[in-house]
Amino acid sequence: MQYVIIGSSAAGISAVEAIRTKDKDSKIIVISDEKNPLYSRCLISYLLAGTIDEKKIWYRKDSFFKNNKVEPLLGVKAIGIDIKKKEVAVSNFAGEGLKPSPANKENVKFDRLLIATGASPKLENIPGVDKKGVFPLRTIEHMTEIQAMLDKVKSVAVLGGGLIGLRAAYALKNRGKDVSVFVKSGSILSQIVDKDAAILMQKRIEEKGIKIFTGVAAKEITGDKSVKGVALDNGSKHACELVIIGKGVSPNIEIARDSGIKTNRGILTSDFLKTNIEDIFSAGDVAETNDIALGESSINAIWPAACEQGRIAGLNMAGEKETYEGSLAMNSIEFFGLPVISVGITRPKSAVYEEIVKKDAARNIYKKVVLKDGIIAGAIFVNSIENIGVIGALIKNKVDITGVKDIILEDYFDYGKIIPLIKKSKKGFREQEFKETILTL
Amino acid sequence: MAKPTGNPINDELLEIAAKNNISTIWDRFMEQEPHCGFGTLGVCCKICNLGPCRIDPFGEGAQKGVCGADADTISARNLTRNAAAGAACHSDHGRTMAKTLLELGKGIAKDYSIKDPVKLKKLAVEFGIKIEGKDDLKIAEELGEAILKEYGQQEGELTLAKRAPRKQQEIWKKANVSPRGIDIEVVQAMSRTHIGCDSEYKHVLEAAIRASLVDGWGGSMIATELSDILFGSPQPLRAEINLGVLKEDEVNILLHGHEPVLSDIIVTASQDKEIQELVRKNGAKGINLSGICCTAAEVLMRHGVPMAGNFLQQELAIITGAVEAMIVDVQCIMPSLSEVAKSFHTKLISTSPKAKFVGMEHIEFHEKEAMETAKKILRIAVENYKNRNRSKVNIPKEKMTFVAGFTMENVFYNLGGSFRPSYRPLNDAIISGRIRGVAGVVGCDNPKNESGMCHADMVRELIKNDVLVVQTGCSGGACAKAGLLTPEAAFKFAGEGLKEICETVGIPPVLHTGSCVDNTRILTACCEMVKEGGIGNSIDELPVAGAAPEWMSEKAIAIGWYFVTSGLLVVIGTPLRVLGSKNVTNYICNDIEQIYGGKWAFEGDPIKAAHIMIEHIDKKREALKLKPLMYATK
Amino acid sequence: MKKIYCNIKKCLGCGSCEIACAVEHSKAKELNSTISENPLPIKRRRAEFVEENVAISTGCQHCDNAACVTACMSGAMYKEAKTGLTQHDRDKCVGCWMCIMTCPFGAITREKQEKQVVKCDLCPDRDKPACVEACPTKALYLGTLKEFKEILK
Repeated sequence: MQYVIIGSSAAGISAVEAIRTKDKDSKIIVISDEKNPLYSRCLISYLLAGTIDEKKIWYRKDSFFKNNKVEPLLGVKAIGIDIKKKEVAVSNFAGEGLKPSPANKENVKFDRLLIATGASPKLENIPGVDKKGVFPLRTIEHMTEIQAMLDKVKSVAVLGGGLIGLRAAYALKNRGKDVSVFVKSGSILSQIVDKDAAILMQKRIEEKGIKIFTGVAAKEITGDKSVKGVALDNGSKHACELVIIGKGVSPNIEIARDSGIKTNRGILTSDFLKTNIEDIFSAGDVAETNDIALGESSINAIWPAACEQGRIAGLNMAGEKETYEGSLAMNSIEFFGLPVISVGITRPKSAVYEEIVKKDAARNIYKKVVLKDGIIAGAIFVNSIENIGVIGALIKNKVDITGVKDIILEDYFDYGKIIPLIKKSKKGFREQEFKETILTL
Repeated sequence: MAKPTGNPINDELLEIAAKNNISTIWDRFMEQEPHCGFGTLGVCCKICNLGPCRIDPFGEGAQKGVCGADADTISARNLTRNAAAGAACHSDHGRTMAKTLLELGKGIAKDYSIKDPVKLKKLAVEFGIKIEGKDDLKIAEELGEAILKEYGQQEGELTLAKRAPRKQQEIWKKANVSPRGIDIEVVQAMSRTHIGCDSEYKHVLEAAIRASLVDGWGGSMIATELSDILFGSPQPLRAEINLGVLKEDEVNILLHGHEPVLSDIIVTASQDKEIQELVRKNGAKGINLSGICCTAAEVLMRHGVPMAGNFLQQELAIITGAVEAMIVDVQCIMPSLSEVAKSFHTKLISTSPKAKFVGMEHIEFHEKEAMETAKKILRIAVENYKNRNRSKVNIPKEKMTFVAGFTMENVFYNLGGSFRPSYRPLNDAIISGRIRGVAGVVGCDNPKNESGMCHADMVRELIKNDVLVVQTGCSGGACAKAGLLTPEAAFKFAGEGLKEICETVGIPPVLHTGSCVDNTRILTACCEMVKEGGIGNSIDELPVAGAAPEWMSEKAIAIGWYFVTSGLLVVIGTPLRVLGSKNVTNYICNDIEQIYGGKWAFEGDPIKAAHIMIEHIDKKREALKLKPLMYATK
Repeated sequence: MKKIYCNIKKCLGCGSCEIACAVEHSKAKELNSTISENPLPIKRRRAEFVEENVAISTGCQHCDNAACVTACMSGAMYKEAKTGLTQHDRDKCVGCWMCIMTCPFGAITREKQEKQVVKCDLCPDRDKPACVEACPTKALYLGTLKEFKEILK
């Protein structure tokens, strides 16, 4: 048995660990286009902010590959899959500095394959994006390059008010830069939270000196070789030495193109995280899975989902029959001491959803759950986040919460309150740990 | 948990208890550990049925009770109710004495007599009674009535509170805590702390202070004064302490509790011919009375009756297997005694109309038939001698001699010798720096501390630093057992200056002044020191401090409060249950000093606590510009 | 695996477990001193109201397939191979709250100043966890599931 895993971040690493719980000996080959892939991608902005030191981002030890008997192929790119021959085409792992091209490739055989190629940052389609001083913030290389030029930077323009854009803005503000964020839509974090939560967060962020401009987009990045500023679609100009593009990510599905592996926005997977091709699995930011809240196939490009998918795909590659229950969008964000966690659907677009909201301006608390037919589809908790996991459990287990609707947003709505629901639930809460807590009820 | 080591008697008897599955206070203490944290911090409120409520002391959970009371209100209310209960106990004790005096005067309680007619007259005059041409009984009747009237008094001032230096009285007026009558302050402490009543914590605590002041300058002081009148003012005497005072061949009778109305009569009745005859008939060589708790202190001070032990030793006394009867009245009597006594022949007899115990025989005591009841009880005890199972007898050998019987009238006058009876010598000794100051070390004993060792350690440290120590209650017992209450102790433990004084006058460096109501003797002494002059014009200026290193009862809280608000620093071993409220803690341990001159301090280490007192005394000496101490500390 | 179980029938919801836990995880480890610490220690157990006359003391369940471990993006939350316990490595934690986001028991708490989380660690310095010892009704039990079921009989 030879396992091949393309990608060495959350999903890939989790898959290795899962395989090794079932199969101690078979060969595992991990292919990654990064030379030092064992870092936590999500921590890059923390590192840029200077709130953590560099050693914290290495979330697995250097010896990880060795300890797990993995043959790593690092700094090389997988460029194609032959599903008949069961081979992955890999560019230039033989020679340094060779550009990936079909001419410089070798083939790696697999018995079982995991495609965990992740996603890449979307770049702005405007003139000037190729100037020096324009970056996305996705990899450790981006971060190193930004870091290297920071001394000369006074002013930063962040294009995009999403999670990555704001994290970058926060990080650079923390490093003493003058930061302006340009958000095309009417509010920040529009993919993650609703308008009310966004206003609370925007207020906090602005209080701390980051300028946010909503309803404005950049139409050009100006300067000669290096960035000198951005020209905005409202006619004004903004001088800066650094531009961060935070426009979200798109899944790295090129490798599956023309291979016979079915794709949509991402690679399509079954409940076992298998693609349409036998022995080929997919997990992480590249994989489309069932979204629990939406009830349809979707990509949740988030760390916990990647890890969980990697783990389940790994187990199934090793011969188990583990079902993936689906992914759930969720994000945890904290800016300047204001934590926000959102789960599932937070901005329902249809009238079938009902919203329950609690606002406590004095304590900066905002909470909302989104219901559909008495079942929670999503939630946002601002500044009072400790029990959001309990809400998550109710979403995952599709519990009718009508009986506790009146108290569900109270601070005291904790695990104890859902015990009667667990006791009543016939299908949900299958994990042993839930059962243990109601053993004596 | 502090195991009761350091006292070999306890170890030996505890082993017997363990072998026979007899649960003692230390076992039950262990079972209660850890004590409820909400209770410990004073943030549990069970005053009304909206609750019980509790405040999360770590800030995450509820910060207000259902009614909206926060940690400040809750802990202040709890503390106030504790103080009220403590004050109620002492005041009831005083009430019993006053009723006895009245009934004696009326000729109803004819088994009593006036033992100190001088004091009777003095007190009567203080209460504004014309004594000319009246016999003692008439005066007793009028005094009894006058005192009982102060219990029900609705406004005005307490007579005995006028003993306090003028400044103290002014402070109380200004702080709006001048005690009006005895019962009203206890009642109002209860009413003010009802749901929806007084909730501003400083104002709530005023009720605690009022209730405590009527204890110190009312109920307790009345109890002390009247006990002296009815049973005689004590004189220094030598006595013995510890369970070794029990005798193999005599009928051992333990007097346990607080009010001396019965115990004193029993001392007399035990010498009755008929009873002595019964003793012989039952094959015993005599009756051996001994005491536990404050009853012990009462009969010790006046009759030299030995002290079998303090509060913690009450169960152990029964476990010696040599006790024919334990006679109890009120306060500090453990309900567990009945269970312990099941394993032995000991008869437990409760006597007070105020307290019954499951498993005890109740022979209710009334002053009018005092002697008759006393004899009835003695007969039961004597006849029980034959039931003693010799194989179960384990009387420990340890006992210690000590001197007790000091009062504020006799002790410091002793300093001047019989020719110069005044407080001058004491004040002079302080002024000259032979004595650094005076410390009252009082209070209960508590299994939270090693049995009695806290008291002894603290007192040794104090006398080493030339602080003269006065004691009452179980604390006195603890130090007596440690051998600190002998004149010889001055040579062993006292600093040079204190030693010189003790040597010259022939007193111990640590003076036992009686039971827990007798803490008022310390108040009186403070007044006398102020009056004598030269070391401060009010109590709060005196180089004096107080401590209760092992306090446990609500009475101790009331006592502490009346000392604090009369101007003293009071150091206690385990904190008052207010730490859940930073405001209340800060108020009573700091801010309150600005108002009353006294404050609370919490320190568990007896040596450190002693030094808190020493520092305080030094601060007062400095303020008075007294000379430096004559001798450097050893 | 040994962990803490709560017998709901015996739990009075008194909160003694909470206090014992906070004290054990304080600097002084003694209530009267602990209470004046700054910052105050954080409890890792909660006595929670379930419904009338029913309460439960809950904390980290040390789940076999722990959501917090899966979600942890810094590797701070991990399963200890030897004991099966879910452990937290303060040196790795960055305070991203992903574990809080995913814990279905609400058993993880922020340590706001330190940007860390805290959760039940079964009191490594003690034989028996402080909460178990503190429980006045013996509702809390330390042992394996099998042992717990055994004592329920």
